[in-house]
Amino acid sequence: MLEISNLHCSIGGNEILRGLSLSVNAGEVHAIMGPNGSGKSTLAQVVAGHQDYAVSEGSVTYEGKDLLELEPEERAREGIFLGFQYPVEIPGVNNAYLLKAAMNAKRKHEGLGEVDAFEFLKLAREKMATLGMDPKFLNRGVNEGFSGGEKKRNEILQMAMLEPKLAILDETDSGLDIDALKTVAEGVNSLRSPDRAIVLVTHYQRLLDYVKPDVVHVLSEGRIVRSGDKSLALELEERGYDWVREAANA
Amino acid sequence: MSRESHSIDALRDIVGRLPTTRDEDWRYTDLGTVREISSRWLAAGRDSLALELQAEIEAITGGIDADWIVLANGELQGPVNVDCAARLDEAPSSGTALAELNAALLKDGLRIHVAGVHDKPIGVLMIDGTEDASVSQAYVEIEFAPGASGDIIEYHASEGDADQYANTVVALTIGDAASARHLRIQNRASNHVQTGRTSVSVGRDAKYTMAGFDLGGGLIRNDIEIDIAAAGAEVSFDGLYLAGDGQHIDNHTRVDHRVGPATSRQEYRGILNGKCRCVWNGKAIVHEGADGTDADQADHNLLLSDKAEIDAKPELEIYADDVKCSHGTTVGQLDETSLFYLRTRGLDERHATQVLTHAFAADLVARMPVAAAREALASIVESRLADLLDSDPGTFS
Repeated sequence: MLEISNLHCSIGGNEILRGLSLSVNAGEVHAIMGPNGSGKSTLAQVVAGHQDYAVSEGSVTYEGKDLLELEPEERAREGIFLGFQYPVEIPGVNNAYLLKAAMNAKRKHEGLGEVDAFEFLKLAREKMATLGMDPKFLNRGVNEGFSGGEKKRNEILQMAMLEPKLAILDETDSGLDIDALKTVAEGVNSLRSPDRAIVLVTHYQRLLDYVKPDVVHVLSEGRIVRSGDKSLALELEERGYDWVREAANA
Repeated sequence: MSRESHSIDALRDIVGRLPTTRDEDWRYTDLGTVREISSRWLAAGRDSLALELQAEIEAITGGIDADWIVLANGELQGPVNVDCAARLDEAPSSGTALAELNAALLKDGLRIHVAGVHDKPIGVLMIDGTEDASVSQAYVEIEFAPGASGDIIEYHASEGDADQYANTVVALTIGDAASARHLRIQNRASNHVQTGRTSVSVGRDAKYTMAGFDLGGGLIRNDIEIDIAAAGAEVSFDGLYLAGDGQHIDNHTRVDHRVGPATSRQEYRGILNGKCRCVWNGKAIVHEGADGTDADQADHNLLLSDKAEIDAKPELEIYADDVKCSHGTTVGQLDETSLFYLRTRGLDERHATQVLTHAFAADLVARMPVAAAREALASIVESRLADLLDSDPGTFS
């Protein structure tokens, strides 16, 4: 589904990704781990289409299409979802409006009519209930005055409503207490399906106790230096990132 | 002095004394068009055939539910059948050349007296439209009796496409412990010029809440002058100006805190697209002895085009000791991170821009004080915003 090959990319003249390659198939859950500054968030932003990052080499294909040619909104409509590490507060735009606009943009792209108001509300309430969100959040400004946990739940709500083919969740576990972490993990698990891929970008392995990944990658200095199964995450937890870094440089 | 006694020469003399850009308060706003329209109109014998209104009041005002009084080309339409309103013969002519012009050319003044609790908003529709260039005056005196409470809506509109100059004065007196809510909507045609003065005198423990929306017009100058001469007054006003290609919108505000404690706060917001210019000058004067004054003023601008220009200037003059005053102005473009966030949700750049711009304006609509008009106003603002973004999309992208 997603094929990244020898990706080099920089921001403001600093090269962050230095030859990153990654292959993600439908039905898989990948975890990308790595120390701060290794390029995890950059990877997420580049796949979503952030224009501040300049790609100098390599390719990213998604379902056979050259992803780098597509605008961020085109990527979203094609089924890519980025869960932000720091979801943006947008006062004056209510949550329901954004959810509906996002769904309709995608539906239009798929040749479907606008979502029915009643169906929308029913679906939103259902998803919110499973995420332990008060339905009142629908009428609040997007992330406006939300706590850290509420913002992350709101990202998962958007993902659940949009049903992406490829979801990239950037540090969705950061700043969550254990109950919120469990709820968010349940939300992610409920979206696991044979035709969907999920990429979890995370610094710690505790999210992986609740969302079991098929593949774990370790990112260091802009490259994937090691890939393995879930046991790699546990090993990392024990031995720290220096271990992989040293192993990579050896 | 009644209007008959003004000869064409006397009127030309007043027009000749209108402010120019050499006056500090008029530095950015050139009334050349006013002089030009006025002389055409005077040369044509001060006569231009009034156009008949093509639409019902409800249609013109976007369906705002109010007891409407209509001043068309400065003339009252039909008998005034709002209880608390009556025709006025004269306007005070003291002060500036603009006030003199207003008094000299006034046809029908209007006086509104609000006593007790007045539930339904009182609306004054000032609409101008004649076959050829013309000049009109409006003078509206509004008095809130002590303890009174009510809503006033002022709506400025145009009919037809001849050049028009409207000079309007609205003078409010808010009695002790009264509560006045005032909505002002200016939605004139693009070749219409308006100089509008709103002067407000606020009594003891009185509350005056105002919101002004400048959505149309070619050259617009608003002067808001608020005088706090008694303790306990609470003054709050907001202003939204939307300017597109060729528009010039100037808001000059002045709040005189003569006695404390009292509070005044103002927040203006501008959305500018295309080649246009807006001015905001907010002056607060805290006079000697006005201790306990709390004054706050802000002006925030969204520039969607690199051809748009804003001159924003807060001015504070403080002559008392125990005061709390603050001011702030910002000028910027849309937040890039917010734009990206919306685009990752599938909204194209245009839609995302529209959503964020709308949000910037929506706050002021949401807290606008005349509840009965909120829904209508929201849709007027929304449609004007859509036009504004269409007019010159993505100049800055």
